[in-house]
Amino acid sequence: MAGLLDVVMLIPPLIAGMVVGYYLRGKKLLNSGKLLLGIILMLIFSLGFSIGSNAELLAIMPSVGFNALVLLVMALLFSILFVKAARKLVGV
Amino acid sequence: MIKYVLPALAAGILAGYLNNNFGTPLLNTVFSEYTFNLSLIALLFLMGMLFMLDEKAVAKMREAKFRILVFPISVALGSIIGGLFGGLILRIDLFASMGVCAGYGWYTLAGPLAGQLFGLEWGALGFAVNLLRELVTVVGASLFIKLDKYAPIAMGGATTMDTTLPIIVRYCGQDTLIIAFSSGFILTMAAPFTITAIAALAR
Repeated sequence: MAGLLDVVMLIPPLIAGMVVGYYLRGKKLLNSGKLLLGIILMLIFSLGFSIGSNAELLAIMPSVGFNALVLLVMALLFSILFVKAARKLVGV
Repeated sequence: MIKYVLPALAAGILAGYLNNNFGTPLLNTVFSEYTFNLSLIALLFLMGMLFMLDEKAVAKMREAKFRILVFPISVALGSIIGGLFGGLILRIDLFASMGVCAGYGWYTLAGPLAGQLFGLEWGALGFAVNLLRELVTVVGASLFIKLDKYAPIAMGGATTMDTTLPIIVRYCGQDTLIIAFSSGFILTMAAPFTITAIAALAR
């Protein structure tokens, strides 16, 4: 289980990137899009790898699949509706 | 981008599955931990940098200020109420249904925690609901963006601070970086507490 500490560890790299970006303002970075895509694909591949190698996780999917699908669809539906309504309310 | 993301995800799942059956645990550590964490850190650094370089995005963020807090609050409420209605449709335990949906996509937390609080079968459901939430966000962001500019942030829940962040920024725009990250961060922090609180109410 990923701990809360791992979560907090994601803030320093984000802030460091923002500080570097602040000092590089006005400069155009070449090929940042390609680099970004490369790293994204690495992340998604390793996400898939950790799912694929989790045998217990894969084994339970068929038996709980339908209930999971219904709960997920409802959670997604209401999340989107609430965000849409809240945005109208506060004007973001 | 989806035409690259989907094959990468499928290849990862297949590689992980094959490695688990025929390979070595060492490869699992390399990909599931080292590559995962390193690419995440590199990604957050790069995206923070690109955000600050984009002066329009920074100006938009300054203007929004604390109003961005409506995102995690709406997603938390929407997920829990969605869980309630889902439980009603399926005629299963309503508190446990709300509890597993209060994982907001964080399946490594929601699985074990729901298992402990509501019983083993709910642990399996907690895993499945939240893993699917992450996968649907990765795969469906480009589609659901048509419903609302911020729909992918609502879908991603807690995962919008890490795994789904690059995809959200790609489709929702550079100016949504801070909204998505802060929403994911707050929901990640809130998930263990809301799941536990719902379980406490059930007793």
